[in-house]
Parts: sequence; C-alpha cells; structure tokens
Amino acid sequence: MRRAGPDRVNALLWATFAQCAVITALIVPAHILVQGVLAPLGIVPAFDHKYSTFAAAIGNPLVKIYLLVLFATVFYTFGHRVRYLLTDLVHGYKPLFGAVGYGLAVIGIAAAAYILFTTP
Amino acid sequence: MGRLQIAASDAHEGTRTYAPRLGGTWFLRSRGYIRYVLREFSAVPIAVWMLWFLVEIARLKDGPKGYHPHMSPAFVVFSIVCLAFALWHSYTFLSFSGLIMRIPIGDRFVPANFVRGGAYTLLLVVSVLIGWLLVWGGAR
Repeated sequence: MRRAGPDRVNALLWATFAQCAVITALIVPAHILVQGVLAPLGIVPAFDHKYSTFAAAIGNPLVKIYLLVLFATVFYTFGHRVRYLLTDLVHGYKPLFGAVGYGLAVIGIAAAAYILFTTP
Repeated sequence: MGRLQIAASDAHEGTRTYAPRLGGTWFLRSRGYIRYVLREFSAVPIAVWMLWFLVEIARLKDGPKGYHPHMSPAFVVFSIVCLAFALWHSYTFLSFSGLIMRIPIGDRFVPANFVRGGAYTLLLVVSVLIGWLLVWGGAR
C-alpha cells in the first residue's frame, strides 16, 4: 500500500510528459513534412537525402545533441501515452503497462544515444 | 449498480472501491471518446516515424555507396499518415495551453484564447524555422 502524502513519482512522470509532449508537438511535424513528404516528392531538398549532407550534419555534435533530445522526448511521450492508452483499453494491468511503456521508451532512448554517438 | 462492481476485499476493510467494467469498445460510444483515444494513439505513429529516422541514421555506417534515402510512394503515404497524427497531437496538446498556463496581469489573467493563439503561432514559427534548416542542410 502506498504511503499517505503526495505521489511525487507520478507527479514527476506527468511533469516530464508535459515537457516532452510540448517539444514533440512543436518540432516533429516539420521533420515529417519536409523529410517524409516534400523531399521524397522532389518539392524541396532535405539534409538526409544525400549521403554527403546527411553525414556532415550527423557529424556535428550540436546536431547529435538536438536529435538525442528529440528522440528522447518522442519516445518518452510514446511510453507515457502507451501506458495510459493500454490502461484505458484493458483494465487492471496498470503496473504492467507502465513497465511496458516506460521500458520501451528507455530502450528507444538508449538505442538513439548509441546510434547517434557511434555514427561518425 | 449497473456496470459498477464493488471490490469484495475492500468491503471487509470498511472502504468500497468502484471498479468500472468497461468493454474493449467503450470508446466507440461517443465521438469525444474516439477523439480521446486517437489523441493517445497519436504517439504510436509519431514514434514509428522517428524509429524509421533512427534507422536512416544507423544506415549511414554503410558508407556513401550503401546509403539510399527512402523516396517511394509507399513511404510518402506512410509519412502523410504519421503527419496527420503528429498534427492531431500538436493541435490537441497545444489547445490545453489556454487552460494550463495562467499568466497574471494585475488582478486578472491573460485570456485563454490569447494563450492558445500564442501556442499555435509558436508552432508555426518553430515549424518554419526547423523546415528551413532541414531544407538548407540539403541544399548546400
């Protein structure tokens, strides 16, 4: 049984989600629009459509940090929302769904960090 | 009691816990519920698209001859679907800003619509800036 008093862990999880969801909301649409739609259609160039420009960008430490923050915010938002979506759809397994959601988020963030910082 | 079930174990302890029994399709009962579930689900296609981007970065290790960017129509359709969910996430989450952010002015607060409008304007400005950087990086 949880001790009486404020649930600080849950508050921290929700506060982190709020920050991550705002960053995701502001930044991700532009990436998908340019890299996923406009560039493949040939309307605009994009930095990831030529090896030379993509490798040069990924080689920049500031870009690596920016992308790590972006991947971390997106994967955390995913983990938090998966936890509550599954809890709403299938009742009674909240701790399990929390472990699944946050576990996947941690794996995703670790994979992003590994790939970003081992790619020259 | 309808669909509400009182947990028997709690009855012995003097407290009663309502354990709502909702079917797996409860969200189909109302458009509001469907929008709510779609909002929560929006994180999944966004994460899948970012996972694809991560795989693209990992493929850089193959060198210039092994790297081929995705240009297929199927990828564009996939991205359009993900973009729709990303915009739905942006719209729904930023619309909360008017309720959450209480900015005091004297003894009153900045109107919620003004705060919400500011958040949407920020989305537009950030999108133009990020979009320009992504295009500029490819045009060099």
